[in-house]
Amino acid sequence: MRLPYSLILIGRERGRYLPAILAVAFCAQLNILQWGVLLGTLSVLSTPVDRSRADVWVASRDVLSIELGSPIPAVWQSRVASQPEVVQSEIYLFGFSYWHKRRGGAEVCCVVGSRLDEQALGALADLTPDMRKRLTEPGAVVVDASEMDRLGIASVGGSAEVFGHRVSVVGLLHGFKSVGSPYVFCSLRTARMILPMFQEKPHDTMYLLARCRDPKQADELVERLQQYPDMSAFKRDDFSQRTRLYWLTQTNAGIGMGCTAGLALLVGLVVTSQTLYAATAASLREYAVLRALGIARWRMGAMVLAQSFWVGLFGIALAMPVVFTLGAAANFAGARVLLPPWLFAGGNATTMVMALLSGLAALRSLRLVEPITLLR
Amino acid sequence: MASAKSTLEARHLVRSFGDGETKTTVLHDVSLDLYGGEVTLLMGPSGSGKSTLLAVMSGLMRPDSGEVVALGQRLWQMSEGEQRRFRLRHCGFIFQGFNLFPSLTPREQLEMVLRWGEGTSHRDAERRVEEALVRLSLGQRGDLTTDQLSGGEKQRVAIARALLKDPTFCFADEPTSSLDWGHGEQVIQLLQAAARERGATIFIVAHDARIVPYADRVYHLDDGRLSASGGRQPPDSCRNEESGG
Repeated sequence: MRLPYSLILIGRERGRYLPAILAVAFCAQLNILQWGVLLGTLSVLSTPVDRSRADVWVASRDVLSIELGSPIPAVWQSRVASQPEVVQSEIYLFGFSYWHKRRGGAEVCCVVGSRLDEQALGALADLTPDMRKRLTEPGAVVVDASEMDRLGIASVGGSAEVFGHRVSVVGLLHGFKSVGSPYVFCSLRTARMILPMFQEKPHDTMYLLARCRDPKQADELVERLQQYPDMSAFKRDDFSQRTRLYWLTQTNAGIGMGCTAGLALLVGLVVTSQTLYAATAASLREYAVLRALGIARWRMGAMVLAQSFWVGLFGIALAMPVVFTLGAAANFAGARVLLPPWLFAGGNATTMVMALLSGLAALRSLRLVEPITLLR
Repeated sequence: MASAKSTLEARHLVRSFGDGETKTTVLHDVSLDLYGGEVTLLMGPSGSGKSTLLAVMSGLMRPDSGEVVALGQRLWQMSEGEQRRFRLRHCGFIFQGFNLFPSLTPREQLEMVLRWGEGTSHRDAERRVEEALVRLSLGQRGDLTTDQLSGGEKQRVAIARALLKDPTFCFADEPTSSLDWGHGEQVIQLLQAAARERGATIFIVAHDARIVPYADRVYHLDDGRLSASGGRQPPDSCRNEESGG
């Protein structure tokens, strides 16, 4: 079985086709990696939601994202607890405060306060029993290890002042590096102490969390809680997605990323189509002989398109190890890059479409194929 | 008198280029017959219109007036698709230069013609190509890329490509111009053999007088006007209507 002519030509004229293959590889890498970075960044924003055990999150009316909630009365917990599906409910504090470093300087930090027992709905699954125990002390907090420099903390045991109260770092987490303000995880008691808004409104909470007897009942519960005119309720995954989508669509992050992806595709398209055009133009006389011999023009068009397919495939194959390596390196360095299978499928499909489009654009060179040009 | 029935008849061909004052007539009312099993040679100086006549007779360039009847079919009354299919079925071409894909082997170049042209199966194409390569003494060179072949070998591949389909007509435009006479003579002998052994109609356009002894009919084109100038057969079919032929 002989290889297709399109593949034979690419193999034997590697130098000619290499720029197109590299352009496709660059395009595929950039697309997948930058969306991976964006997904990683967005996932950090919704981490407190994703790592909770709650089936349903209850918030102020029409909250768009976890950071944009408004305080609600803590007594509304009875509205939630009285629902037939609910077996457990609790309050959850979330807000921003000033972290004053011991050596001077301040950072805005994001304070997350929850119950800490083993059955708590809001506590991060990552908190060890030892951390949970230590966090019960007033002023005890845990932070992400990669935020230590930013928070002016040298090691566990380091301290700072938040809203006039001394706080002490009793443990370090990994994988909670924030995009904006560093996360500070603590007990409800500590959170009330260091969050200004809850000092003014000591009977309020930011969220109410609920666990259903059966997680499948969450839909029904949400529907019923939504009937209260002054609060909103979401299933955990929906609230997580709502938070990520808000950041993706309502900030310039998504738009900027989309523009960069479009630019990468454009660069890939232009380089690939020009390379294929030049390769076809260099063989115009050979194609013209084939035309004189009566071979249909579509045969040559099919070969150009087949070449664009192979260029796309080789480019993607070249890009994948680089994507994995750079993704792993970025994660190792503390950034979060998410590379789910659907991102590879989508990114590679987009790149392949780009390569085939460049083949279509290169077909214009075949208009120049005329046998009469061979007669001098 | 023609020794056989003509396979191609060109009648009153006129072709000009340009418009108005820049209009130049390249063919002046040229009529010519070609015969199966014969080599017909058209000679003339550069710019005399030889290649234009070949293009018009082979269906590559439409004449301003006149007609070409090939195998009983009026070539210039066919649609573009019909012309292409006619060329696919009946015509082989050899052009100046070799016009071979530099990075394909002779075997691949020839198989491409069969598989793309006739949709021949891989196995059949392989067999026919092997036969063609052996016939042209290229059996040992079939797997080298074109870059690795000598000029004579390249031209033999080009001839093999033209004759591969066993065409009724083979049109050759200056087939020896890129070769020394040793290789050029081999090329002409191969074309002559195609006429003798397969009954092909060979039409060669050239200005090299050393080809003349191999031609059955020889015509001369000068400033777009045709005249007979010798050959093995009496050139009875030559007419230049404008000059009374």
